[in-house]
Amino acid sequence: MSEDHCRFAATTYFAKNHPGETCGSNGLPLTPSSITILGRAQKLLTINHTNLCTYLDVIREKHERIIVVSEVGGKPLKDLNYKLSYENISNVGRQVSSALEYLHEMQFTHRTLAPDNILLDEQNRVKLFNYGMFYMTGGGSDVSFPLGLPKYLSPETILNGGGPSSDVWSLGIILLELCLGTLWTNLKPGPVLRRILTLVHSNNAPERIAREHDCYDKYMKIPENLRNIIEKCLKMMPSERATPSELVEEFSQVPCTEVLEAPPPRGLAGCRLQFVYHWWQLAGGDVLAELKTQGLVKNSPPILSMPVAVLLDGCTLGGKTPALFDRRVAHYTLDRLRARLAHVPPAHFHPLMHEPRHTGDAVSLPRIIRERDTEYQFYRILWFQRLLDGYPHTADLIKQEAATDIPPLLRAAVWAALLGVRGDVKDQYERVDKETPTPTDRQIDVDIPRCHQYSWRLAGGGAHAALRRLLKAWLATHPPAVYWQGLDSLTAPFLYLNFCDEARAFACLSAFIPAYLHQFFLKDNSQVIREYLAKFRQTAAYHEPALAAHLADIGFVPELFAIPWFLTMFSHVFPLHKIFLIWDALTAGGARLPLALGAALLRRLRGLLLGAGFNECILLFSDLPEVDIPGSVEDALEMSRKTPPSISYRRFANQPPVTDPLDMVEIPLDALLTETSPRISIRDVVTLVQEDRCTVVDIRSNLLFEKQCVRGSINMPYSGVQLGTRELRGPGGEALRRAGARGTTLVVAGDEDAAAVLVSTDTSGDPGGAGAGGRGALGTTLVVAGDEDAAAVLFSDYLVKCGVARVCVLHGGLGALHTHAPGLFTQRVA
Amino acid sequence: MSVSSSRGAAARPNGAPQTKVCQFKLVLLGESAVGKSSLVLRFVKGQFHEYQESTIGAAFLTQTVCLDDTTVKFEIWDTAGQERYHSLAPMYYRGAQAAIVVYDITNQDTFGRAKNWVKELQRQASPSIVIALAGNKSDLAAKRMVETEEAQAYADENHLLFMETSAKTAVNVNDIFLAIANKLPKSESVGGGAAGGGRRLADGEPPRAGGCCK
Repeated sequence: MSEDHCRFAATTYFAKNHPGETCGSNGLPLTPSSITILGRAQKLLTINHTNLCTYLDVIREKHERIIVVSEVGGKPLKDLNYKLSYENISNVGRQVSSALEYLHEMQFTHRTLAPDNILLDEQNRVKLFNYGMFYMTGGGSDVSFPLGLPKYLSPETILNGGGPSSDVWSLGIILLELCLGTLWTNLKPGPVLRRILTLVHSNNAPERIAREHDCYDKYMKIPENLRNIIEKCLKMMPSERATPSELVEEFSQVPCTEVLEAPPPRGLAGCRLQFVYHWWQLAGGDVLAELKTQGLVKNSPPILSMPVAVLLDGCTLGGKTPALFDRRVAHYTLDRLRARLAHVPPAHFHPLMHEPRHTGDAVSLPRIIRERDTEYQFYRILWFQRLLDGYPHTADLIKQEAATDIPPLLRAAVWAALLGVRGDVKDQYERVDKETPTPTDRQIDVDIPRCHQYSWRLAGGGAHAALRRLLKAWLATHPPAVYWQGLDSLTAPFLYLNFCDEARAFACLSAFIPAYLHQFFLKDNSQVIREYLAKFRQTAAYHEPALAAHLADIGFVPELFAIPWFLTMFSHVFPLHKIFLIWDALTAGGARLPLALGAALLRRLRGLLLGAGFNECILLFSDLPEVDIPGSVEDALEMSRKTPPSISYRRFANQPPVTDPLDMVEIPLDALLTETSPRISIRDVVTLVQEDRCTVVDIRSNLLFEKQCVRGSINMPYSGVQLGTRELRGPGGEALRRAGARGTTLVVAGDEDAAAVLVSTDTSGDPGGAGAGGRGALGTTLVVAGDEDAAAVLFSDYLVKCGVARVCVLHGGLGALHTHAPGLFTQRVA
Repeated sequence: MSVSSSRGAAARPNGAPQTKVCQFKLVLLGESAVGKSSLVLRFVKGQFHEYQESTIGAAFLTQTVCLDDTTVKFEIWDTAGQERYHSLAPMYYRGAQAAIVVYDITNQDTFGRAKNWVKELQRQASPSIVIALAGNKSDLAAKRMVETEEAQAYADENHLLFMETSAKTAVNVNDIFLAIANKLPKSESVGGGAAGGGRRLADGEPPRAGGCCK
């Protein structure tokens, strides 16, 4: 395999098993070491430095196996079959020092630095490989094998201590070895360690090592400045050793081989490695399968690994166990991905804003397939990255694109853009007090260990601490909001996506709550929630009248099941992968979508609910059956598109107050709680009538109707129907059924609100579909309009009970409509 | 588990003719994370989840138990433990014939909170309500902070049923529900229990408490 074809590689090892079944102090089982490791390793994935191989993925497999996928390039120093010149040795030293400087700055200690994890390529570029072992294993405490090769360990490390400066010692030994040739070749680890410890007696460790190896002359031939550096690295006292920064400075004074600057790579090689890895996986790349082919993972029959004895504390004795740590590295080839993208012209790797966009063939396929299509994701990711680079100037474009779909790989950044996160979020987050104890802490502490714990990313100690900080930070910055159970679930998706960027998670949460859950977390949120649930009930009646009528009949009110839906925007109800689908639509679709989504979920359960009594219904919601989430989201978007805006008006929404009487639909909360159908504003009715998307149901007497009415409206006098019945009878019933079948909104309108409900029509409805009396109107809105609100409200309730869909009440009645839009009315008959 | 939707003795298949079927509304109350949902899950489905998610609002489950001559169907309301959701509680204990007040034996504060719930029930709930006190997490006896004697004395004083339970190991879980079933007056609610009131939520008195707050 040529170097060009292998840009990443994997290593594997086993995490330590907790012996037996032991519980933590909270009575919950101990977190498996592998999960702790994975949690820590997330931070490694964010490292980006030219002298460090980028970590791409950390995977947890069966039996506590960990697989680490990382960039690779060049050859390990160990495998070089030629001797490096002193200039090139200094070059290696300089670049390794620079890498160590960066690592130490980020609070990582390497500890396992050795010639097999220093890679040198043909351009003389040095990259450290697998430098995160010590960090991700908690200083080795989560694995049961020793870390590092004995001969590169510093004396203090051997004595069970040592900090970052032991990396400098290791570098010193490696440089010395490059100058003198391999050291301590024939010794076993024990004697090697003893030799290192005896160096304590010497003032000049490298010189003594050289003498031990009979190559003092060779040692003295090393250019003086390089020899001085090696001596500074191999000082016995850690505090006397040079720091990596000092070494970088020292090496700048030494003649070094220059790194050859290659022209910036084009095509796949020029793409971000994380993208390439993602596409490689989509194109069928399988990390584990490759490890098996290359022999790093071996399956053996279970009988061979059965222990000989199991002690009472759960410890096992005997039995063949596979090696806990494998030094080998499996390389992956990109051939398959290259073949998959072979036909993509080079220019497409660098999409430009003004050019027509390419999407591949999958664009018309369902979203779930698009998310797994290599080519589609290739175009999508490159394009979104382009837009994200231009954020905030591209905010509108991002919103537009996100309405189609969001590439899962970039979800965190896209959400942040959609939520309008900008500015120095890191600084803002750092200023927040996340530590001071508050009375809420106990509640937070008992909730976190049971919040989305099936996700390994959220299950480790690091995740728990991060979630706690986020919750405390949000509460501290948003008085008078208080902690309501459910806030933890709401925060979890943001933490999951921004695991190594708490500040962005915090900024997203802080932007999400005011947009979707304004005032929900007030100490007294009863008004807000009652209004929300009432609007939800009305939304359900608007789209699913038969179901809404049934639920109302059996007393199955939203208060009994829908509080966790909306208080947590479904994050307490569904697992993370479903929440992502829902929130993708939410962040792109706006604050009106959740109500529609609630109605869409009811629609999915319609068959079950219609045949069920109260107990069966509530049981169904206590243990929600499998619901088609992508389908529900589609339904919700469709409903939301077809719903006139004023219908989902909420007083407590985070919007400027409505002042124009044309837009007014607000009624007192007590009245709202009693009304079956939502109200529609005059402005919406005017628009809908003009576009022929609604039918006004005029419930005044036919005398008044004939005098003057809205053009195209249906007369169905209030006095002519029997409100108690559930059949569409009486004058106008047939016309209404036809209007309903057209799928328009039905606006019931009386003289004033009391008498008006409106039914509106939407041309996209099923033209030959069921009548309004059956499953109801399919697309249009029915506006019930009358003289007075009260009658219209009752009339709308009657229509809903008859199963008529898309019924709403004209706010203010026909009188108000006439005042503001006399043009809609027929001329008065002389 | 068998969830019988029949409400009368006549509809019960294979039942001896004299078998009575009674429905009772039971509510679980107590501080959060003491194991209310876990107790219900163990009783109804025989399962236990280490990481049982917190309950928001309330959850509802049913389970039927058979006594000598009676079939008792529990309609169980499992409530949210957080103090803030307190205002929703009356909606659930109103009309309940039985309540299990749960505390965590490893946490003294939860026992104090349990006492408050008992007081509230004695004051506000139906006077004939059967109250049981459950000291949950008895498998964690090594970390015990509430002594059995202390809880027993409190229960005796207030005429409560009392057991230490463990949803994890299933100790005393069925027993506490059976003890409640035994103590409930069965005569009045024969064949659907018109006097029981256990279906008040369903029967034309939808809760109007609404919202999460006072």
